[in-house]
Amino acid sequence: MKTKILVIEDDSSISELICMNLEAAGYEAVSIADGLEAERFLRGSGGKMSENSGTEGGIDKSEVALALVDVMLPGKDGFELMEDLQAADIPVIYLTAKDDVISKVHGLKAGAEDYIVKPFEILELLVRMEKVLKRTGRSRQQIRIRDVVIDLKKHSVTKGGAQVQLKPLEYELLVTLAESRNVAFSREELLNRIWGMDYVGETRTVDVHIGQLRKKLDFHNVIRTISKTGYRLEDME
Amino acid sequence: MKLWKKLSLMTVTVLMAAMAASGMAVIYRSTQYNQEKTLEGCEQQLSAAAYALGKELEYGPLEGYSEATRNSYVNYLIKKIGAEKYILVQDGKVICNLTAFELKKPEDERWNRPEGYSIIQKRGNQYIIVAGKQVPAVGKEQYRLFLVQDISELYEDMKAQALFNLAVFAGAALLSLVLIFLMTQTILHPLRKLQQAARDISEGKLTSRVDVHTKDEIGVVAKAFNRMAERIEDQVTELSQVSERRRQMLGSLAHELKTPMTSIIGYSDSLLHVNLREEQKERALQHIREECSRLERLSSKLLSLMGMYENDSIFMEDTSMKELFERVARLEEHHLQKKKLTLIWSCDMENRKVDRDLIESLLVNLIDNSAKASKEGGQIFLEGEKDRIRVRDQGCGIPEDEISRVTEAFYMVDKARSRKAGGCGLGLALASRIALLHGAELHVESKLGKGTEVSIIFRQ
Repeated sequence: MKTKILVIEDDSSISELICMNLEAAGYEAVSIADGLEAERFLRGSGGKMSENSGTEGGIDKSEVALALVDVMLPGKDGFELMEDLQAADIPVIYLTAKDDVISKVHGLKAGAEDYIVKPFEILELLVRMEKVLKRTGRSRQQIRIRDVVIDLKKHSVTKGGAQVQLKPLEYELLVTLAESRNVAFSREELLNRIWGMDYVGETRTVDVHIGQLRKKLDFHNVIRTISKTGYRLEDME
Repeated sequence: MKLWKKLSLMTVTVLMAAMAASGMAVIYRSTQYNQEKTLEGCEQQLSAAAYALGKELEYGPLEGYSEATRNSYVNYLIKKIGAEKYILVQDGKVICNLTAFELKKPEDERWNRPEGYSIIQKRGNQYIIVAGKQVPAVGKEQYRLFLVQDISELYEDMKAQALFNLAVFAGAALLSLVLIFLMTQTILHPLRKLQQAARDISEGKLTSRVDVHTKDEIGVVAKAFNRMAERIEDQVTELSQVSERRRQMLGSLAHELKTPMTSIIGYSDSLLHVNLREEQKERALQHIREECSRLERLSSKLLSLMGMYENDSIFMEDTSMKELFERVARLEEHHLQKKKLTLIWSCDMENRKVDRDLIESLLVNLIDNSAKASKEGGQIFLEGEKDRIRVRDQGCGIPEDEISRVTEAFYMVDKARSRKAGGCGLGLALASRIALLHGAELHVESKLGKGTEVSIIFRQ
């Protein structure tokens, strides 16, 4: 089952942008464009949401793992929705064009997990979301890519049911790519994320590990080299 | 030095100088007078004595007596005439001297005048008068009588008087100094208030005023100062309002740019880095295009706003307002139908010199605003009267405290809703600018929940 993300954003263009990328990265996105509508959804007892969800079935608020909330909303603004979001036990990341410190502090004080200023990069959004999900214990237990299953709890990888032996750094690399699947990482980003900021190595190191992963998992067509950018784990199901 | 000190010192100095000068003149004059009087007195005494002596000697009773007898007789005579202050000289020789002084140069010709001659001499600490006179002819002998009198007492008196005068002068000076100090301070006290107020203002306390209501020059200055302070306060307030508005406008502009930018950056970023399906790629491109045209709209509106601020070249021509209204109604028809709104228009206006395109866009703008505020199935009225055009709706209205700000660039009463409806907050700013170019004024009246009426009032 995919992790469900609630997107409360009134600008249809930005809303669609976020949903598009969330779906590509393997989440299920539910979008709401209006503060009052969001309030109805959050207060409704087990009410199903089907419109605007972009998926076939309606979902319940208890299934939502995380909410991305725009601060300026018609009807009721993002800060005002905080109470209902907390009552529904949904962690919140605010998305806003307001980059002044005061509203940032206000948002975080109100109980938001994070605060992202528009315009933002897709990768940044995904990484921050993943962090919040991990922190709040809502991250995925396992990630499935074709016949490969990554068990995030046991730190094990199986391909077609058979265990695949990966070195710790190879495992980290695989998880990083798989968590933001379909999104390209640059070699520098991967170095920073997996080897750490302090690591003084060449980007060649990344290439070597990618090569290992491709060989061990037969991912030659799954982990693709994107020219001028880096690597991307592709899986459109 | 402080002004009050200067003024009082100046006054005191002048006053003292005048007092000293007049005092000195008086003392000098009285000294002179006293001297003259004393001399005159001495001369009279001398001439009386000389006359009496002459008479005594005239009968020549001494003829034939010995020198000693003669001398003692003369001694007797002089004693008889008066006291011990006479000296008698015969043919240049002192023959009798009863005074405590000695006569030098008794033979000097100046003493030989029949009308007499007198002089004041200083001997040590003593002042004496010496007066000499020829004794009226007594036979062939030449007699001169001298009077010598000590007048030191007179000088002592004068000195004492001068000292007393000096004491009075000093006292008066001290008293007037104090009084003048106090008085100038009182008179100049308002100046200190003025100074305090000026300091307040320079420190930014612009509400400070001078509380001086005297009718003198200081009062006039205070009044002028208060007027100036008021002007400064007004202008500073206005300036800070203008800069605040400008700051807000820039902030709003930045914000308005951010929303489309977020989309454009996000979609292009996705296209570059994210493995999207074909139809998603297409949607992304569509969005980028849409947002770019949104930016384009914003920039062209901004440009026209700026352009009109700088360049007043507009094309005015005689226009039938009725035809103009018709055209606007036709332009809006399709747009309004979507929301099931009706535009009801009437025009009683005569032809007017206007820029057709600008007025058209102004009306379209106002009607669009009304349409945004109206509920489905509502009515919008466009009415032309003698010198005004009214656009009226029955929409949601504008909160009272925001009416004055709706014509500011980027000002939106309900930001979220307005942006959703495609607005960027420049419509009314543009409209009021167009009105201004036509010598007209934009007047907004609104009641929350009842509707809004915007009038364009042409001044004659």
